[in-house]
Amino acid sequence: MINFMWDNLFRKSDEQQEVAEALRQTFVFQPLSRKELGFVQDTVHVRVFKPGEVIFRQGEIGVGMYIILRGALDIYIDHAMEEDVPPRAHMVTRLRAGDFLGELSLVENNSRRTATAIAAEESLLIGFFKPDLFEILERQPATGVKILLRLSEVLGRRLKETTMKVTELKEEIRRMNEKV
Amino acid sequence: MSLAISQTTLKRANRWKLVGLLTLLLTSFVVLMAVENLLVSALLAFVISYTLGPLVNYLERQGVSRTLATTVVFAGGAGVIGLIGVWLAPYLGETISRLQADTPRYISGLGAFISEMEIKVHSIAGPLSNFDLTSRVESQLTSWTHDFFEKLPGFVKTFFTVMLLGPFLAFFMVKDGRNLVRTVMGLAPNDLFETALSLQHQINFQIGQFVRARILESLIVGLVTAFGLFMISFPYPLLLGMFAGLMNLIPYLGPIFGAVPAFLIALVNGYSGLEVTALAMVYIVAQLIDAGFLIPLLVAKIVDLHPVTVILVIIAGAQLMGVLGMIISIPVAGTLKVTISTIYRHLIDTRA
Repeated sequence: MINFMWDNLFRKSDEQQEVAEALRQTFVFQPLSRKELGFVQDTVHVRVFKPGEVIFRQGEIGVGMYIILRGALDIYIDHAMEEDVPPRAHMVTRLRAGDFLGELSLVENNSRRTATAIAAEESLLIGFFKPDLFEILERQPATGVKILLRLSEVLGRRLKETTMKVTELKEEIRRMNEKV
Repeated sequence: MSLAISQTTLKRANRWKLVGLLTLLLTSFVVLMAVENLLVSALLAFVISYTLGPLVNYLERQGVSRTLATTVVFAGGAGVIGLIGVWLAPYLGETISRLQADTPRYISGLGAFISEMEIKVHSIAGPLSNFDLTSRVESQLTSWTHDFFEKLPGFVKTFFTVMLLGPFLAFFMVKDGRNLVRTVMGLAPNDLFETALSLQHQINFQIGQFVRARILESLIVGLVTAFGLFMISFPYPLLLGMFAGLMNLIPYLGPIFGAVPAFLIALVNGYSGLEVTALAMVYIVAQLIDAGFLIPLLVAKIVDLHPVTVILVIIAGAQLMGVLGMIISIPVAGTLKVTISTIYRHLIDTRA
């Protein structure tokens, strides 16, 4: 019995170490000091998802982001915007430990998920949601501002990538039109 | 994906998690209702934690740890209340003993007023029956007053229990409340977790705003009333001001209840028309300040309920829990409204 309790105690502590390390390595939380990271760690939520379990569905309102601590997630996009995933939707990517997703929901009001995320194997995710961000901004604004700046950087980078893709596509359409 | 668990198994697991969470919440509610003084103490604790929470957050923003910030704010609050208590105790004690001494006079005065009215009614309508209203009202009032002063030690004991337990619970609510909520939220099934978290945040925000606004509103109405009564040299200004402030927590009907004791005193003491007008002006000015400045600035739009709904909710609250029910009915209705509208919006959004 004592051994069981002892093992469990260390397992818990190991998991906390793992969460702290994952947060430290996540781009959004990278500029935070050890103390600030500790505060964020006390705010986030660790959730376990079974293989095949839906994390969120395309079109649903989302309130925050997930960081993959362990396991893998498959991301599906359904262009017809219908609910019956996965048969109609096609898989666009597989995210693994260290990756994060859904960060747009942290800053956008009534943000709808742009894809469906399903656990490919048993996965341990760190959830960081709008109420958590508000709590940080209310109690430790300096930490909150650092996170928001990093989030803006991520979103800016995504916007830049999207703009480049649109430009490439426009160029391709122009070339095709010229050929025709 | 070959290891994927069937959707039926996942749904079943999530359903069991939900049942567990609801059982925990229901058990907490039953304990709250069953243990003597716990419900009132918990309500007081919520009010204190919503009032002092922003101060603790402010100190935390200045770099003070949450435990120290909570301790400083609660110690400060206890100090301020203690000082006010020490300052007010002799005055309140004297007022209450004066009120106790004056009560027989007020009762007989009220009896005289009723018998005067009875004579007037009889002279107009003739002796309809031998029904002696005066002596009945007088004896009923005497027995109520006797009961009140008889039960006063019991009330005082309950009052002190609640006054000790409430702040004690509030201290831990402010210090560790968020961790408790996080732990309880951790029990929610994955498919409901985001909604539950968002809902809890919105409800908490709404109630916090509401409680702080109503407390400030009551405090200002009570102070304005007490100041006005003091200015027109009316007896017991502070006690009547406190009563008016407390009753002001009940929407629409509260201000009327709050003014009744002062008008009864004026009636029994046989105040002149001018004095009664001055008294009425004090209460009207307090209500004008409330309706003209405090409600639009502080309360309006926080809990946006239709006036008819408000009245129905207050009646239901009064039926279930008396005066306490009337005071808490509006925040409870507001919370239910936020809860239902958020769940409804979530259902619409997820199916859009």
